[in-house]
Amino acid sequence: MTGHPIPLQIQNLRKSYGSFQAVNDLSFVVNPGEVFGLLGPNGAGKTTTISIITTLEKRTSGEVKVFGHDVTAESRQAKCKFGVVHQEVINSGFFDLEELLQFQSGYYGIRNNTKRIHELLGRLGLFEHRHKKVKQLSGGMKRRLMIAKALVHSPRLLLLDEPTAGVDLTLRENLWTFVQELRSEGIAVLLTTHYLEEAELLCDRVGILNHGKLEACGPTSKIINQFAQKKIIVETRSAGRKEIMAKTDEVLGDILVASGIDPKDLLDVHVEEGRLEDAFRKLISAPMEAKP
Amino acid sequence: MTGFLTLLEKEIRRFMKVLVQTVVTPFISSFLYLLVFGVSLGASVPGKDGVSYLAFLIPGLVMMALMNNAFQNSSSSIVSSKFSGDIEDLRVVPLSENEIIWAFALGGLVRGFIVGFVTFMVGQVFHYLQVGTWLGVVHPFALLYFVVAGGLLFGLLGIFVAFWAGSFEHLSAFSSFVLLPLTYLGGVFLSIDHLSPFWQGVSKLNPLLYLINGLRYGMLGVSDVGLVESMTISFVGLVVFYLMARVSLRRGSFQRW
Repeated sequence: MTGHPIPLQIQNLRKSYGSFQAVNDLSFVVNPGEVFGLLGPNGAGKTTTISIITTLEKRTSGEVKVFGHDVTAESRQAKCKFGVVHQEVINSGFFDLEELLQFQSGYYGIRNNTKRIHELLGRLGLFEHRHKKVKQLSGGMKRRLMIAKALVHSPRLLLLDEPTAGVDLTLRENLWTFVQELRSEGIAVLLTTHYLEEAELLCDRVGILNHGKLEACGPTSKIINQFAQKKIIVETRSAGRKEIMAKTDEVLGDILVASGIDPKDLLDVHVEEGRLEDAFRKLISAPMEAKP
Repeated sequence: MTGFLTLLEKEIRRFMKVLVQTVVTPFISSFLYLLVFGVSLGASVPGKDGVSYLAFLIPGLVMMALMNNAFQNSSSSIVSSKFSGDIEDLRVVPLSENEIIWAFALGGLVRGFIVGFVTFMVGQVFHYLQVGTWLGVVHPFALLYFVVAGGLLFGLLGIFVAFWAGSFEHLSAFSSFVLLPLTYLGGVFLSIDHLSPFWQGVSKLNPLLYLINGLRYGMLGVSDVGLVESMTISFVGLVVFYLMARVSLRRGSFQRW
């Protein structure tokens, strides 16, 4: 990492509204080519965190740096390095898609960005709609337009605030593929989502926020191993059907031996792997002092 | 600089997309004002310093059109962005506060200038038909000064009001209860010489009086107030409204409605 600034570095970030702590001592980094999922229930502080990165909200204290640039003190440099897809869909009515994207490019100092705009519209399946107004697009198309807007200036960090909220499964899967393509191009992605299946599939690492505090942070598989259990359903001749809960990294043979099951007695075994959803539920529902 | 020019271009192209609303409507309203006040009622209203009432009215209407349209351009652009949700883009993109403020203010000035020019041309036709001569410009630099000051000042005021507004009603209330009375009582239709000394004193508290009379001085060479006084108050107003726009941009709402 030496010599290459970290795409996003958040250190001891706090945001309070009066006595309410929306973000409480939050620290994490997003590395190049990594998809980092910021997860949490409604009101956990995910959107507030993104709003602070994008300067829509002011932090109370702490440090937020984008590629080494403080988002407040060096906001112009920081803003040039990231793109953001907001949670709410825009409905801008005066201009067509291509005009909107040309304006968006211009804000970043890029004139006549037609090649990049056409490339993005093509990749996002919007090229044939480029002369339509936003209000003429479907909800899914509007979402894709917002992604195109966030990427016109070729940022190396993309902030996605619940990009798949309220979209159908096909579009969601298309967006997943697109995010994976961005990752393979070395773009760092900060993703907030309520869909834990989505986070499990896409995110290299996740941070789980609750009441503004980071309850757990690490590689997705490690979080699952640490906080979720797998379910082993065994059917034996002697005892019939039985469910065994075990840590996700435990070996099946050891589990069966520890449970006193003779392999000769075994009729069928079915393993349900631990899911991020289970880890999430455990972290969010457990009292804070009880957490490992 | 590219970001600033892009936002300015967007502001200009935005009102050009709705030309009926931005240019044709003011054309019709200035036509009606000139017909009713300038030609019909104007025959029985005295002018000022040897200038006919119709000629007196034209610069007033030009400044009124310029100020209203400059205000409407910046305020309606920001308010419609709040409604559509793309107001957040302004905060997120790498544009400085000054770039945002001056792009909106200049967009307002350009629209105000176009509508003011249309009003002036309609007035020219009326003046030619009524008096038989074209209306000249006596002091072109003074005219330019007050056109630029009036357009920018009201563009800045539009930014201030739009960022503070929490709904369309707030914007409409400001236009109806503040802007409209000040415009109508600012010497558009009548010289304050016709008022009693008390109301003359009250009228002189209205900053719009100085812009309207400044433009009238540039066009006709007559004014209810001194040129230096008008220029100074307009300049101070410009600085104050710029600071108000800056504060509203820093503290006002970028949240969508």
